Amino acid sequence: MTKNNFLNWSPVLTLFLLTFNDSFNVKHMANFNIDAQKDVTYDAIVIGSGISGGWAAKELCEKGLKTLVLERGRIVEHVIDYPTMNLDPWDMELRGGLTPEEQRKHYKGIRTGFIGKDTEHFHANDEENPYTEDKPFLWVRAHQMGGRSILWGKQTYRWSDLDFEANAKDGYGVDWPIRYKDIEPWYTYVEKFAGISGEPLGLPHLPDSHFLPAMELNCVEKDLKQRLEKNFPGRHLIIGRCAHLTVPHNGRGQCQYRNRCSRGCPYGAYFSSNAVTLPAANATGNLTIRPFSIVQSIIYDDQAGKATGVRIIDAETNEAIEYKARIIFCNASCLSSTQILLNSKSSRFENGLGNDSGELGHNLMDHTYRIGAMGRVEGFDDKYYKGRRPNGIYIPRYVNLDDATKSDKFLRGFGFQGGAGRGGNREAANIAAFGADYKEQILQPGPWEFFITGFSECLPYHENRVYLNNDVLDKWGQPTLSIDAEFKENEKALNDRIQVDAVEMLERCGVKDVVGFNNHHEMGYGIHEMGTARMGRDPKTSVLNEFNQVHGAENVFVTDGACMTSSSCVNPSLTYMAITARAADHAVSELNKQNL
Amino acid sequence: MNRRNALKNTGLLTGGTVLAPSLLALFQSCQAEPRLDWQPEFLTEDEAVFLAEFADTLLPTTDTPGALDVKVDMFLDKVFAQAYSSDAQDQIRREIADFNAGVQEKYGAPFADLKPEDRAAVFQAAEAESGKYAGQVWGTRVGEEPPIGFYRSLKLMVISAYLSSEQIGTEVLRYDPIPGGYDPCMPLESGDKRWTL
Repeated sequence: MTKNNFLNWSPVLTLFLLTFNDSFNVKHMANFNIDAQKDVTYDAIVIGSGISGGWAAKELCEKGLKTLVLERGRIVEHVIDYPTMNLDPWDMELRGGLTPEEQRKHYKGIRTGFIGKDTEHFHANDEENPYTEDKPFLWVRAHQMGGRSILWGKQTYRWSDLDFEANAKDGYGVDWPIRYKDIEPWYTYVEKFAGISGEPLGLPHLPDSHFLPAMELNCVEKDLKQRLEKNFPGRHLIIGRCAHLTVPHNGRGQCQYRNRCSRGCPYGAYFSSNAVTLPAANATGNLTIRPFSIVQSIIYDDQAGKATGVRIIDAETNEAIEYKARIIFCNASCLSSTQILLNSKSSRFENGLGNDSGELGHNLMDHTYRIGAMGRVEGFDDKYYKGRRPNGIYIPRYVNLDDATKSDKFLRGFGFQGGAGRGGNREAANIAAFGADYKEQILQPGPWEFFITGFSECLPYHENRVYLNNDVLDKWGQPTLSIDAEFKENEKALNDRIQVDAVEMLERCGVKDVVGFNNHHEMGYGIHEMGTARMGRDPKTSVLNEFNQVHGAENVFVTDGACMTSSSCVNPSLTYMAITARAADHAVSELNKQNL
Repeated sequence: MNRRNALKNTGLLTGGTVLAPSLLALFQSCQAEPRLDWQPEFLTEDEAVFLAEFADTLLPTTDTPGALDVKVDMFLDKVFAQAYSSDAQDQIRREIADFNAGVQEKYGAPFADLKPEDRAAVFQAAEAESGKYAGQVWGTRVGEEPPIGFYRSLKLMVISAYLSSEQIGTEVLRYDPIPGGYDPCMPLESGDKRWTL
């Protein structure tokens, strides 16, 4: 999620995170209706307000449904609630550093390496929200309106039939119940509204989006693109496709190249629920959003054979309240949605709502990354760049596309993200010098560096799972999650190939002093949790059908990462958006037909 | 009068020199004066003086401000006081003491009391002994990293504090908080400064 904010080579060390003081006109949006007390019955309830929940809210409200969004955290209004968006390093007491108390509050999340004073308030409190790691797993959570859509990495790529057919072809997991043609129009639909910038390439396995103008490669990246594409036919180096506006779009401003995205963008230049979907939902007059609402369970009526509402605990008062609706969208994030379903027990579903198959909580996937190479680039000392581009380069998958590119070592594939920039403080600290001349030297840009890091697909393994832990309760007395998952041999084989290829590509493109790295990491660091309530064709082996309806509770829809049947090697959020819009369309159509 | 300057001005204090009674008196009278014009939150006075002299040796004042002009020492004291766990606080204290003990053993005086050429010799030796940082991207390390040691980690802290200060950020480096667009390839003349942010 926030990973891409570290693409720029800032002169200031991460120890003191960056930041400044500009002025602009704050546009106050219409206040949200947060008064859910007076009415407990709605047409639709959406659990969660992150990327997929925001889309569900927008689609359902625009189709005329009175919609209640339940958010476990506080309200975060676009611009108004971005307190650090304009701070320079020196504006913060410790220039971005955290106190030991703040570090304790994020004692798990801090393992990402990118929680600082500038974004600390958008990360969940790990002490109040415990989870148990049977095997090491980093679960990054953002408990406020907008969720992780404030913090995400914003890389947006369409999936293809290479992804949707993968399970069927090699037999891991179950077959996706949809193909690219089913979701293609919905990609276009969400892209036109969200605003995705990028360059068309015409690759069948990485379909082009409906693009706004692409951001530019810098001069070193342009040079390396030519070398790479000449030396490695079939491989491409392109600018990242991302949910950043390069031109004004639907009333939002374009990117100002500040790269302070994860603090919230005053221009609304990147896609977040707060800046994009929730204001649209709100504009219909059909939206009510209730903050501090921890969903305890979904209420299932055994006789009617469907869900009737949602039970919540008010996070501030501990009051238990029930809300009723005709349809429920569960968009609390992959693992939180799964936790809610597991905790939604009835005589019909003793092991959790929709868990006839026994697959609920299983098949947890994430992407591996932190494997790649970095080196120095010579010959561009008289070139620099202006602007802090919140985006990097992308090298699309080139293995296991066909017989010619087939590997006998692993299934599936990987792509690379990366970028070129001029070195920062650590490089400066390595220079064996001190004194007056040294000081002048570190005031100038450092050497050019280029890196790439692979993102590889993870297979769905039944034994990679989460389950309710009744021994560890949260602050509200609710069972928590235990996570028991790990990368296995196929992912390790992919990682080994990633490192070999990364070093080879950089060296053959003339990059100097290339250093490969393979920092085997635990699951969760990709922050792409997927698969624990998967879609499928057969209720005996899956939790959701082809329209994301829970088998046996067809008026409950799950359209966040939990629904994913495989993981692809490309970032998943754009697909969550498209799947959500598609499911919402189906939900309203079924409602109108009296089928739900 | 600052003790260091007092000793420097006499031009007599070289390693092992026996102090004449008049000099001792001068020494003592100066020592009675405060050596800091600010009150550290965490560091002792001796530690704060050490930090100031370390930072000043690393980034002295020239045409451009030096580390002490932008109060790097005061900021790092605050970091130690407010951002460090008690374990980390113990460690920084121990490392300053160890560093000074090594200097004391070789030069007969702590770092802050050495003349410039001896300080340079101490830094040169520390440079040679100290491991170098591996690269880092997205919170992960690029390749193996040897033990870094006190000298280089404090060096990194000093230059980070220096470059993130308001004065350097807004008056020395190129400060452009809202670039507005992206120029992927602009010329860089020799001596041009880097961007603040």
